[in-house]
Amino acid sequence: MKHFPALIAALALTASPALADLAHAVDDYILPGYAAFADTTAALSDAAADSCEPDTLKSDWNAAFDAWMGVSHLRFGPVEDEGRSVIIAFWPDAKGMTPKGLSRLIADEDPIVKDPKAFKDVSVAARGLFALEFLLYDDQFDATAPYTCDLVRAVTADLADIAGKVSDAWKDGYAETLRTAGAPGNTTYLTREEGLQVLYTNLVAGLEFTANERLGRPLGTFDSPRPNRAEARRSERSLRNVTLSINALQNLTDTLVDAPLPATDAAFAAAASTAAELNDPTFDMVSDVSDRLKVEILQQKVKAAEVAVLSEVGPALGVSKGFNAGDGD
Amino acid sequence: MATRRTFLTSLLAASALPTLTWADAGNPRYLAAAREPDGSYALFGLGTSGQDTFRVPLPARGHAAAGHPHKPLAVAFARRPGTYALVIDCADGHVLHELSLPEGRRFNGHGAFSAAGDVLYTSEIDAASGQGVIGLWDATRAYRRTGEWASQGIGPHEIARLPGSDDLVIANGGIRTALDDERTKLNLDTMMPNLSYFSASGELLEQITLAPELHQNSIRHLALQSDGLVAFAMQTQEAGDVFTPLLGLHRRGSAPILASAPEPQQMRMQGYAGSIAFSGNGAQVALTSPHGGVLSVFDSNGTFQEMISRADVSGVGPAQSGFMTTDGLGGLCSVADGALSRLNTAPRAWDNHLVTLPV
Repeated sequence: MKHFPALIAALALTASPALADLAHAVDDYILPGYAAFADTTAALSDAAADSCEPDTLKSDWNAAFDAWMGVSHLRFGPVEDEGRSVIIAFWPDAKGMTPKGLSRLIADEDPIVKDPKAFKDVSVAARGLFALEFLLYDDQFDATAPYTCDLVRAVTADLADIAGKVSDAWKDGYAETLRTAGAPGNTTYLTREEGLQVLYTNLVAGLEFTANERLGRPLGTFDSPRPNRAEARRSERSLRNVTLSINALQNLTDTLVDAPLPATDAAFAAAASTAAELNDPTFDMVSDVSDRLKVEILQQKVKAAEVAVLSEVGPALGVSKGFNAGDGD
Repeated sequence: MATRRTFLTSLLAASALPTLTWADAGNPRYLAAAREPDGSYALFGLGTSGQDTFRVPLPARGHAAAGHPHKPLAVAFARRPGTYALVIDCADGHVLHELSLPEGRRFNGHGAFSAAGDVLYTSEIDAASGQGVIGLWDATRAYRRTGEWASQGIGPHEIARLPGSDDLVIANGGIRTALDDERTKLNLDTMMPNLSYFSASGELLEQITLAPELHQNSIRHLALQSDGLVAFAMQTQEAGDVFTPLLGLHRRGSAPILASAPEPQQMRMQGYAGSIAFSGNGAQVALTSPHGGVLSVFDSNGTFQEMISRADVSGVGPAQSGFMTTDGLGGLCSVADGALSRLNTAPRAWDNHLVTLPV
């Protein structure tokens, strides 16, 4: 019995690394993903400097949101410093803090919008992609009004600044930290498995978020469907975000695992094709007794992809989900 | 198989037992439950530099433990709703007694000894009603059940003894949980957690409740400073509420202080604090948030000081300088002066808590 833990450790070491490709995931998935988000948010900020006309800005805003969907499920490293990921995408917003925060700034004509440094102290709810969605799409705001236009410019500049900092921090050090997981002196990832595990945990959590929040919130219950809770419904991106998240999570899987994953591939493909068959960008159909089933089926397909990942990707990488992160007591 | 020699040796050991101290057990400083790579569960004794001092297999997933104030004994508790509590000899890890629960009771994961070590108090629920119970056990007579008190709340979780006293404090988490595998929460709309203080005779001395808008902040875990300051860690049951305070500080007779970090850091805790501990010098208090992968450090007045990232971090205890943490990746780390450093990585997933022994 005394040698039992040592034996397990030896087995774990020989089982995993051959099938995992940490550097591939970093170089061909994460770095380009954050670079695209930095580029698109910079383009959005530049466009806003020229004009606050919503019809002009919407395409740049959508391009930035598309880029965010490529990396939104990565919840570790530089994007978590200073709460950046929540600033970028403050959702769900159960208490309606985003419209309240924006309305307060506008009513007060708070001069904080003129000071990029001071703007960092504005509530997270009034910043990021969802604040911009309200300003560009919701009738209660007029982005071309002088103060509101300054606010649009402040939010886009802040978003571009955050996206640039995340991308730079990855390029200038964090990519190497993750690539060299387990190397002597690496105090962030004490073992190579920890580097694999953080990506694996984020992969599983990303699937859970899409199933439980992006789809689960509008579904509500049969007796009480909640279409108004769909993500980004004002811009009619709700279904698009589900589709993009499925694609992104499949890409992460493909770059991370260097082994055949037949069940996982099939499950991702089934989820993607089910999403492609829905013709309702905002999931209003959840209120319809018979159409609702189609959204429930999509939710089941995303959950099935999670099951496939748990049974196939975890063993291939030699890691399991965080023991405490998915638990509570 | 007992030869004359081993028989004599064990007789000697038995007669020597009452005088054994924590030093005789190799001075383990901490206890922690874990899941082994093969899926089984065990409790480990740990030294100050993170080395194993003993291992005891557990019949099911463990949670926390209570160290005896003088003798090298600890009682290990099952994860709630639990059916076992094992009295363990920390010198060699063998099981001395198994507590026998009265019918209709379940252990809720935590317990505490009286100052003299003669009484063990356990947090329990009545399985049928969900009402909280404090179980009393006679540690001088093979842990016979001697009585019980109402915990004055639903879903009691951590119980602790106030330093230099026989008064107790218990966190009534407020959540009524079904006894199914998913531990379904049954009363989130009406839950009302509290912090309750009891005398050694079972008299309710003081009870603290939260403001009505915080009724879904489940008070679950406790840390005590030597001067009687009680720090409590909370977990919100309100979906998406990432701003709610998770740290409370309370001194008998005064109003509790609720403390938050600035918004960007507070959000990273994701509305959930798993464990809480004071630092070795008592000047700081730390919360772990395994969902957010962060350790949050405050001073003992509730002012936020720093946040440290560590994936799956959950267990935390005091260390000579700062804190010791455990995580689900097997890591044992020390945290001092804003930096985390690895002491050891074990091939197992450390569970919720790092229990500090009274040595």
